[in-house]
Amino acid sequence: MTNYLIRRIIQMAIVVFLAALFTYFLFNISPGGPLAGIQQQQRRLTREDLARLRAQYDLDFYWPFRFTRWLIGVPNGPIVIGGREIFSNVPVGCYLPRDQQVVIRDGERVVIPAGCDRYVYLRDIPELHPAVKSSRGILRGDFGRSTVVRAGRPVWDELMSRLPATLELMITATLLSFAFGIPIGIYSAVKQYSRFDYFFTTMSFIGSAMPTFFFGLLLILIFSVMPNLLQDQFPWLPKLPPGARVSVRPYEVASWLPRVQPGTPLDRFLHLIMPVGVLTFFYMATWSRFVRSSMLEVMRQDYVRTARAKGLTEKVVIVKHALRNALIPFVTVAVLTIPGFFSGAIITETVFAWPGMGRLYYDALTRSDWPIALAFIFITAVLTVIATLLGDILYTVVDPRIKYT
Amino acid sequence: MTTVAQPVFTREGAREAKSESQFQIVMRRFRRHRLAMISLVLVTLIFILSLLAPVIAPFERDAIDISSPARPAPPGTRSADGRVHYLGIDHLGRDLYTRVLYAARVSMSIAILVVLISETFGALLGAIAGYYGGWTDTIISRVIEFMLTIPTLPLLLIISAILLRRDVILPLPDFLNRFLSALLLAPPREAQKVVVLVLVLVIFGWLGAARLMRGMALSLSKQDFVEALRAAGASDARIIFRHIVPNGLAPILVNASLALGGVIVTESALSFLGLGVQDPTPTWGNMLSTSQSYMFQHPWLPLVPGVFLVIVSIGFNFIGDGLRDALDPRLKR
Repeated sequence: MTNYLIRRIIQMAIVVFLAALFTYFLFNISPGGPLAGIQQQQRRLTREDLARLRAQYDLDFYWPFRFTRWLIGVPNGPIVIGGREIFSNVPVGCYLPRDQQVVIRDGERVVIPAGCDRYVYLRDIPELHPAVKSSRGILRGDFGRSTVVRAGRPVWDELMSRLPATLELMITATLLSFAFGIPIGIYSAVKQYSRFDYFFTTMSFIGSAMPTFFFGLLLILIFSVMPNLLQDQFPWLPKLPPGARVSVRPYEVASWLPRVQPGTPLDRFLHLIMPVGVLTFFYMATWSRFVRSSMLEVMRQDYVRTARAKGLTEKVVIVKHALRNALIPFVTVAVLTIPGFFSGAIITETVFAWPGMGRLYYDALTRSDWPIALAFIFITAVLTVIATLLGDILYTVVDPRIKYT
Repeated sequence: MTTVAQPVFTREGAREAKSESQFQIVMRRFRRHRLAMISLVLVTLIFILSLLAPVIAPFERDAIDISSPARPAPPGTRSADGRVHYLGIDHLGRDLYTRVLYAARVSMSIAILVVLISETFGALLGAIAGYYGGWTDTIISRVIEFMLTIPTLPLLLIISAILLRRDVILPLPDFLNRFLSALLLAPPREAQKVVVLVLVLVIFGWLGAARLMRGMALSLSKQDFVEALRAAGASDARIIFRHIVPNGLAPILVNASLALGGVIVTESALSFLGLGVQDPTPTWGNMLSTSQSYMFQHPWLPLVPGVFLVIVSIGFNFIGDGLRDALDPRLKR
């Protein structure tokens, strides 16, 4: 087991490193970024100003060095071993790139980098990148600063300010989907081919095939738009707030209810209903199908037949013999929902303007705020591999027949 | 799948058994799945509508109706020359019925292209991994495992955000460009963007097929008939293409049908988020996305593309379910 764990942890580290390197590389080749179009906006910007700005975002480093600075915070100065500086004449970046205007065949002018007027050497780093402004690296807990979405704010603070909203949404939806999905799955399996089974199998099929964004829009149509449009004919129709997490000003839900004050538990609850409804429907579909199929698998086993042959009541057979075994795969797969508690639901949060992690990631991506997007991907990747390992370990706990070597 | 007539021993008698081919058995089983049949009819109908888009669409794809005072306008509005906008017009004054048909064409083409490419690629890779085993298998399996651990949607968003923002022109041969723009009924520049999206979706699309085929190939390659083929001197390529791939085709077919629904949803999700196909090329996803801003005054707007999207995505899933039941030899119902 120890050997297995060590091997798994090494594999996990490699997977996370590769994922980080891959995403970093992707962002690096992508156009845009914090300084996109700045020369068009600010004509009086001199080359030196631009170089200073570039250095502020670490853009003067070559990308492999930028990556290591982002990851572990090095290189951050001269490396001195035994009184001698090593690698002192290896350039790690270009502070003042020399640009050249080239006319390509359509008569269009493009600026391409052509050489470098001032390279960055290790000993220049403390001067060009003061330690107070540099990141100490993501592995040492410093996620850098946001560049666009909340310019200048530490990424970690921004993530933490968004986390409660996502946790609230995801945990509620996941627990509700367990609460509905598991019993439905069990009952469908026990009464296979019954009317109940057909109905919920069809429902879960629809639930998992339905695009969440359209389902979200449909709910907004039914519960926010329609009551609003039909206000004159049916003033008693309740209407739900279509987006956000809390309201700004008091509002009316229905003519027969008192006005809802912003920030109260009722206000939060009303905002939560629709996004949670969408996610619950979606997850419930997955879980009820999963539980149904694993329950059906177990019901075919010999030991269930033996239990029946012993003369046990159907209830005891199902609850004590079948269900306990059917939930083994469920427990290990349920652990995989943990990364989702952090990363949220990108589409649903966007549809309902929910101020959570998924929405933050989407904003960061569309507005080229790479530090936030990278931190999001990195943490999600770490949580995913940890959850996968946890699932495998739990498997040995709940099922003693499984042993890893 | 091989369509060689096989003797089927049913209690009813030998008369039926003689005449019924494997294909007929599958069709008979499939027809019993009522929802799958309804889905097949509806999806085929939308598919035909999308094929006939340029013929039956009453307006030009991007034509703006300046005569209408209200934009968006509800279904049934008439244009100046008396033609009816069956499903209304959008915020720019374009006919929604026309655009939804063209969108069907774009979305269906993307889905079919992605599934065709990724299932072929995945099945081949899986067959190779399962047949050869050893380090070939190790490398391919590790790549699949790695791709399955990383969260798909965030990465899909990054890749398409980067590729679509970059104005690179793919070095596609001219005939392919012309074929694509004829297929999508869009100018070559727009077709190029669609190709980028297809490639992005293929990156994550081949995993399922590869895993399925690898499993099949693994068990098939240990069976006696493969051993016999080897002894008879058949080459590896012949064994893989003529014997392993055809034998593992049934689960791939089911997977492909489910994947068609999945790809349509993923593509429209990307387009909905503004990171897929962009306006003016219509897809159901970006039509929904623009309708979101107007839905409070014009509630029918999201319903137009939404109903098509839901029918097709759920439809493909039911068809896949029906195929699974029909192709499963263990089910004798």
